[in-house]
Amino acid sequence: MSRKKSKKGKRRLTISISEMFIVLSMGMVLVSAVLAIVIFVQIYKDAMEQSAVTGSEQSIVQVQNTLENYTNEIETTLELIKQNMDTPNEDDFMQNLVEVRTDIAAVTTYDDSGKLLQCWTAGLALKPEIMTNLSYEAYSDKSERLNISRPHVESIFVDVYPWVVTIYEDTIDEQGKTRHLALDIRFSNIANYIDDVGIGQRGYCFITDLKGNIVYHPQQQLINLGLREETGTGLEDGTHIGSEAIYTAHTMENCGWKIIGVSYVDEMITAQVAGALRRLLIMLTGILAVTSIFGWLLARLFSRPAKKLAKAMEDFEKDAENFAYSVRGGTSEITTLSESFGHMVLRIQRLMEKVRQEEISLRKTELKALQAQINPHFLYNTLDAIAWLCEDGQNKEAEEMVTSLANLFRISISKGHEMIPIEKELQHARSYLKIEQIRYKDRFTYQFHVDAACMDYLCNKITLQPIIENAIYHGINQMPDEGRIDIRVFSEEGDIIFQVEDNGVGMTQKQCGEILQRESGDSVGIGIKNVNDRIKIYFGDEYGISIASELDEGTCVTIRMPKIKEDKFEK
Amino acid sequence: MKNKWYRAGVFVFFFLILVLTACHAQRRVEQISGGKKRVALVAKSAESAFWKTVRAGANAASTEYNMDLIFEAPLSEEDYAAQNQMIRSVVEEGVDAIVFSAVDFEANAEAVDEAAEEGVKIVSIDSEVNSSAVECYIGTDNYEAGCLAGEAVLECQAPVLNIGIVNYDKNSENGQTREAGFRDTVAKDSRAVIVDAINVNSTTEEAKEGTLAMLERNPQINVIATFNEWTSLGVGYAIQERNLGDRTHVVAFDCNVVSVGMLETGEVDALIVQNPYAMGYLGVENAYSLINGQSVEQEEIDTSLMIVTKENMYDDESQRLLFSFDK
Repeated sequence: MSRKKSKKGKRRLTISISEMFIVLSMGMVLVSAVLAIVIFVQIYKDAMEQSAVTGSEQSIVQVQNTLENYTNEIETTLELIKQNMDTPNEDDFMQNLVEVRTDIAAVTTYDDSGKLLQCWTAGLALKPEIMTNLSYEAYSDKSERLNISRPHVESIFVDVYPWVVTIYEDTIDEQGKTRHLALDIRFSNIANYIDDVGIGQRGYCFITDLKGNIVYHPQQQLINLGLREETGTGLEDGTHIGSEAIYTAHTMENCGWKIIGVSYVDEMITAQVAGALRRLLIMLTGILAVTSIFGWLLARLFSRPAKKLAKAMEDFEKDAENFAYSVRGGTSEITTLSESFGHMVLRIQRLMEKVRQEEISLRKTELKALQAQINPHFLYNTLDAIAWLCEDGQNKEAEEMVTSLANLFRISISKGHEMIPIEKELQHARSYLKIEQIRYKDRFTYQFHVDAACMDYLCNKITLQPIIENAIYHGINQMPDEGRIDIRVFSEEGDIIFQVEDNGVGMTQKQCGEILQRESGDSVGIGIKNVNDRIKIYFGDEYGISIASELDEGTCVTIRMPKIKEDKFEK
Repeated sequence: MKNKWYRAGVFVFFFLILVLTACHAQRRVEQISGGKKRVALVAKSAESAFWKTVRAGANAASTEYNMDLIFEAPLSEEDYAAQNQMIRSVVEEGVDAIVFSAVDFEANAEAVDEAAEEGVKIVSIDSEVNSSAVECYIGTDNYEAGCLAGEAVLECQAPVLNIGIVNYDKNSENGQTREAGFRDTVAKDSRAVIVDAINVNSTTEEAKEGTLAMLERNPQINVIATFNEWTSLGVGYAIQERNLGDRTHVVAFDCNVVSVGMLETGEVDALIVQNPYAMGYLGVENAYSLINGQSVEQEEIDTSLMIVTKENMYDDESQRLLFSFDK
């Protein structure tokens, strides 16, 4: 089927079963794998996001708790400091406190004008002249329950500048004067803690004040220097899922700080998806290999035998007679099909042979029947002519005619053989011509030109007689002058050529054609068409009769047949 | 028949694509999880606040980019031979990149070239070296820094500026460039006269001695400019000793707790503060890019500069720049 289509010249894509199998299975695997991946990624992403949100939330709550505990504890410390102020053991208590609590950088008190009244530190030297006191200056930003400043540098000590946050309280002493108490807490504790908070692989957390200014960020240096940017500042409390990261914000209850956790989801997912994709690709490669093998097997078991079968059918179509078929391998379906085809081929060949034989025998019977026929008119006329000759006393002519008639019939029958030697055929023609010459009272003359080498070959019987008959009745009979008939037999290009030429009235081209089509004529019973048919049946289309004729000039009929020495159909 | 080959070709092609993509994915995964790269930071000193901050920046970047950082620095800031030795030894250890600050513009060149021939990527920070193997320089625009120092000097209101210069090693490229910028800037003002210029070894003691000697020779000096951390301290101590804080306008470089204290107490009047953290961070970051076969964004990255005076030293920005966030 496919071949025929491609033969038509239309380049239509044809696809074999094995290829279709490979393409289909690859497609199915690809589609299902892609679908699976898409679904997997979606589910995974959701799950990751959810777990990231939960993890982030938990971490931040933990940070919040820790920091709240810490600030609560500082609050307690502040309370203790207040209680111990202006008591006799004030100095001892304060000194002990700053010595024991390494996270406390200094405890200082100021009067209203900001003058440093008292200072307790763990062995740090106060600058002889304090130019700037950031701990006091930071006092201005007062907020929440616990007054806590932004981180700043402790600027009152010689050669030591620790980063601190300052916590303030106002106290009123016995004289009713306001005193400002400042507790400087080293920021490093908080900073270390915040640095160590990890959320997921790359997440971190940082602290802002309520206005969104960064109090502390693990990458503070980079942010200060403009090498990093933090986008998560100033967020409301709660979880915010951004395009790159998930932000979780919590405000601490006892001071104005907000803790913001940042976690990244996509990098984990990307890595996972890359892994899944890699696995998928490996799987696809494997599947391609496996399907290729299956395809090859399929081709071997199914399409190739099927193609061979199709090719065999085509060959059979072209040359049914000589086609030989043997069943080849394949699946059971294909083998069954092949076997059936093989049986069919044999059967068709047998049938064809049978038909051919029947046709031949039918023809033979038909021919024999025709040959057996004796045109009654010819017989009556001839017998009449003989009777007249006897009556006239022309006994010699009468005898001659009777002999010729007997000869004519003898050869006509020839013991039932179809093929007779050319010599006999010529005798037959002569006998006929003799009879006709007597009957037509020498209206024509005839002459034989025979190549003696041809005499031994066989030819179909009653070949010349119908031609001669035609020449007499339609050529010579209708002309006033004496007619002449030349009969030639010679060999040409390995064939035997018979020619019957007359100088009669001739025929048109149309008549020439009709003669070869017309059924048997009036006189002897076998027409020129019959002669032609017989030769063609026996020897094929390249043999037979051709007629060349011209009006008022004459006709030349040429019969060509092969040189044969025995009759193959008689055996 | 042709059709058959064509189809076979298509299949082979498809197969190859699959295999290649799989390999690529494999390699990417390896890249993500694969071996740590190593980068060496060869500095001029391990002790100064400046280099400590550089180291902190480098550490931050190496942590962020998942690399191992090796820090090496000679004991003396003039010891180029020790630096060369360090370069050779880290190359031998098989580092992938060196972030380098040259003591000597010429004398360090050969070792750097050799390292580059071994396939080690070179990023130069703070002070340059005469080698074409350096793919990226990150540091202060030293000429600009000198100009800033000059401007800080010209802030002084005195009618005549008798200037003394205390610079360090003559072979160090950045010191000379700073001095050139400084000279070009003060030359624009008619009040300025450069009375004396000395080069000392880069230690506090030698700078102090040198400064004292210079003041001895030229008592009229009322402005001193100096160009690195140690010489700044030396000058500061000399002024302190002579109690010339009020009379002398000192413009110094870089910062540590002592020079900041001097800024507050008046021995030093202005500090040109560089950005060592950025140098360290960007140095390692660019080394990372180079190791991974990417080209650096710029061949020369100028880090920021700031003039800090008594007035602005406790600004938020200055606080963060001057005082490291030590824990």
